[in-house]
Amino acid sequence: MEEEQQTFVSKARTAFHSAAAKAERVLLDFKSDREDHDKQSSPNTFTGQQPEAESPHTDENDSKLHSESKHIKWRPPHLGIKQDWQDKIKNIRRGRKEVEDTDKVGDASMAIPFYDDNLYLLNVKNDLEAKASEAMPSVEGLTAATKDPIPPSSVLKQLAIAVEAGSKAKSMKDVIASPGGSSPARERAGLSLSAVKALVLREKEDKLTSEFTSNEKVVQLINSLFDPEGDFLRRKIDSNLEETAMTSLPRDIHGAPPESLVVKLAEILGNYKTLRKMALFWCRVVAELRKLWFEEQYLPGVPQDEIPDLKSCLLYQQFQVINCCISRKRFRIIATESLDSMMMQANSDIKESTDCSAEASASPVLYARLNSGELVLRLGADHPAGDMTLLETGEPVYSPITQEGPLLTEDLIRETEEFVLRTGSVGAGCSQLLSDMQAFKAANPGCILEDFVRWHSPPDWTDNEASTEDSDVFDSGEPLSARGQLSRRMQKEGNLWRELWETSKPVPAVKQAPLFDEDLAVEGILNAFEEMHPSDLFGQLFVSLLGLGFGIAEPMLSGNSDFSKLFYDCKEYIITACQNNKLNEKVDGLVQVYETVEKMLLNPEEALKMIKQTEESTTVTGEPRSPFKRLSLIFGGKDKLLRKSVSKDQTNDEEKSGRQSFSSFFDSKSSLFGKKPPKSGSPSPSEKSSIDTGWPVV
Amino acid sequence: MDSSSGHQEFDYLFKLLMIGDSGVGKSSLLLSFTSDAFEDLSPTIGVDFKVKYVMMGGKKLKLAIWDTAGQERFRTLTSSYYRGAQGIIMVYDVTRRDTFTNLSEIWAKEIDLYSTNQDCIKMLVGNKLDKDGDRVVTKKEGIDFAREYGCLFIECSAKTRVNVQQCFEELVLKILDTPSLIAEGSKGVKKNIFKDRPPQSDASASSCC
Repeated sequence: MEEEQQTFVSKARTAFHSAAAKAERVLLDFKSDREDHDKQSSPNTFTGQQPEAESPHTDENDSKLHSESKHIKWRPPHLGIKQDWQDKIKNIRRGRKEVEDTDKVGDASMAIPFYDDNLYLLNVKNDLEAKASEAMPSVEGLTAATKDPIPPSSVLKQLAIAVEAGSKAKSMKDVIASPGGSSPARERAGLSLSAVKALVLREKEDKLTSEFTSNEKVVQLINSLFDPEGDFLRRKIDSNLEETAMTSLPRDIHGAPPESLVVKLAEILGNYKTLRKMALFWCRVVAELRKLWFEEQYLPGVPQDEIPDLKSCLLYQQFQVINCCISRKRFRIIATESLDSMMMQANSDIKESTDCSAEASASPVLYARLNSGELVLRLGADHPAGDMTLLETGEPVYSPITQEGPLLTEDLIRETEEFVLRTGSVGAGCSQLLSDMQAFKAANPGCILEDFVRWHSPPDWTDNEASTEDSDVFDSGEPLSARGQLSRRMQKEGNLWRELWETSKPVPAVKQAPLFDEDLAVEGILNAFEEMHPSDLFGQLFVSLLGLGFGIAEPMLSGNSDFSKLFYDCKEYIITACQNNKLNEKVDGLVQVYETVEKMLLNPEEALKMIKQTEESTTVTGEPRSPFKRLSLIFGGKDKLLRKSVSKDQTNDEEKSGRQSFSSFFDSKSSLFGKKPPKSGSPSPSEKSSIDTGWPVV
Repeated sequence: MDSSSGHQEFDYLFKLLMIGDSGVGKSSLLLSFTSDAFEDLSPTIGVDFKVKYVMMGGKKLKLAIWDTAGQERFRTLTSSYYRGAQGIIMVYDVTRRDTFTNLSEIWAKEIDLYSTNQDCIKMLVGNKLDKDGDRVVTKKEGIDFAREYGCLFIECSAKTRVNVQQCFEELVLKILDTPSLIAEGSKGVKKNIFKDRPPQSDASASSCC
């Protein structure tokens, strides 16, 4: 004991000379230590070390997490349990040993900060681990939740919190890289103390990140989410409902179809308690997407071969592109193998022909005979084009296998359009036309431009038999053997079609340079996922989950005479709100509207009371109109709400009117559309409890 | 309707889209509107566009008008340009019944599939009025279709320029009468990313790969 104390004093003196700031801290510690020593009370000496050691960090790092840590540390001494006290002594002793080890390395100036960091980090880690084990969502937990008719409003609320919190972050990486307790310290990067702490914390965070991604529950969630069977998170959706109504709502609010991958992802992420864990899970999802793309496996819960649906959210469009690109790659492989085997068969046929002096077999290899009598292999022929025959050779016309155009999501369409407007370039059409010409030439040896036009642009060809009638149009089912002529506009000098035709070579589609590079497109999407702004991601997930809840609730409430009116008013509100661009400002209101629908389903008696209560209050105040009519005016008047963008004054009026009406409708004391949910005056204690539970961000 | 050229400040930016079968005169109609000229233009390859400034209701408007190829092979390419259009012009040829039939068979369905703007104004245009002697689609048929489909209707001739200005004017007036579209038009102005297309001696020519 005495020896240790002497060592500590010696270190204090050494540190005193190194830096002014550190000397000041050491001096304070030295004085406190001497006071304790004067008292000559052993237990008090060790207890007193803690607050002194922590005080510098309190000044530098004033945060909730730190306060919680400090609070936790102070609790054991007050309990007065001897065992706890002895444990504390052991911890301090262990910390001191580490300090001694550092001293041996020869860097005495690091002694005190490292000593402090160890205690701090120990508590941070313990805290995080405890919370992780308690709050981590699991496959079992989420599966059990699907017994509820619609996703719980707490899940939607968590996504709303993420939307708002995410809008303050710069990127998803920032969310992951900034643990709650140390951001103030980072601002003082110049100080070696803070720098050391940041380095140590980063190492710890890397460890925590890898721990998260390898956590058993996370792995199970990923596997269930991407299970091709797709049974995970499936709810009963009333099949009696008109399909139009079920599919139209997600598109009206720019969400995603029910039971799609986006909606399931939204439900999982909404169950995590911290923004950082949400971000970590998203990165885990992106890694899985990369793996599926590499293995050319389809994403479940997304159509396999549909072009992007521009009325769904961008995330869903991007998932559609990934699956569509997988389909295209698979098709190209099959088509290439088919073409290659056909060519080998043709070579084999030639040998047989030479050896046996027999005519070449007509099947499965396709030939076209030129006027010179020569047989030429058809490459990339798909199917006969009706009864059309080539004008010069009389051979049947085959439609070629053609390349498909680009798969554009809404953001890429906007970029393309702006590019075209800015540069005047309309090259995309020419590229496709040239590709079609080359494929047509490969499939139809001996063809001329007129043959291509008859196939590609029938209105530009006039048959000779009907030459007296300019407006006659080629009918693909009608035999066509007589010559005709191109339209006047197609015969025009300088026509780009003829120039392209002269340029084109006979090359089948699968051998051409791709018009659309699938690898490049998907790589762009996956990179965008990694760099996606948090509010963009969580905003789309929020809207998608909102659409699912309303879609499921509609058949249950539309026939209910008590609630159908209120439900459709709520639905109209969310459609109008989601069609505006300022989602961040509306998530609170949307959550409360969702809670209203949830209450109508789970607590119909209570919801009925609230409706009657509102009616009574309306009668008392002498309002001439019923609450339903006023709600209809608010919700039904899309023009009024959308006019907000045009006139700020009108916006304010509408907001006031809406807020007041909803306030009187549910409870005169609370404002439904306030920025924060009502914390007092709530008619239901359970509701208040629910709100309190959902709001804190840990 | 006053018109001006060159890079200008403007109050609203609207996107218009022209669709319809190949050969009905979409490109000629657009050229007639923007240049007061008529040409027998080569078939459009993919998409083309023209920009026109107009004064209407005391406001200066910038119109970005997209002209699409009507051939089926170009349909995937042109489907991208429906996004965000405030006005869509559906064109048919009064001397070819199939171009009128395809309005409901093809083009109305394309609008339902690809248009992302629920409030967009649609206009039905019967072109080639100058060939009235060869007419096979009556004006009444056009009116009935427009009424049933909920869109504006006009017959015109790109060649003689009859009703060409009125066609676009009616469409834009209707857009200006729709608050949600006005809001979108204002939003486009803030970005102000668009620049005028450089003038070309031959409007039908286009640079490409």
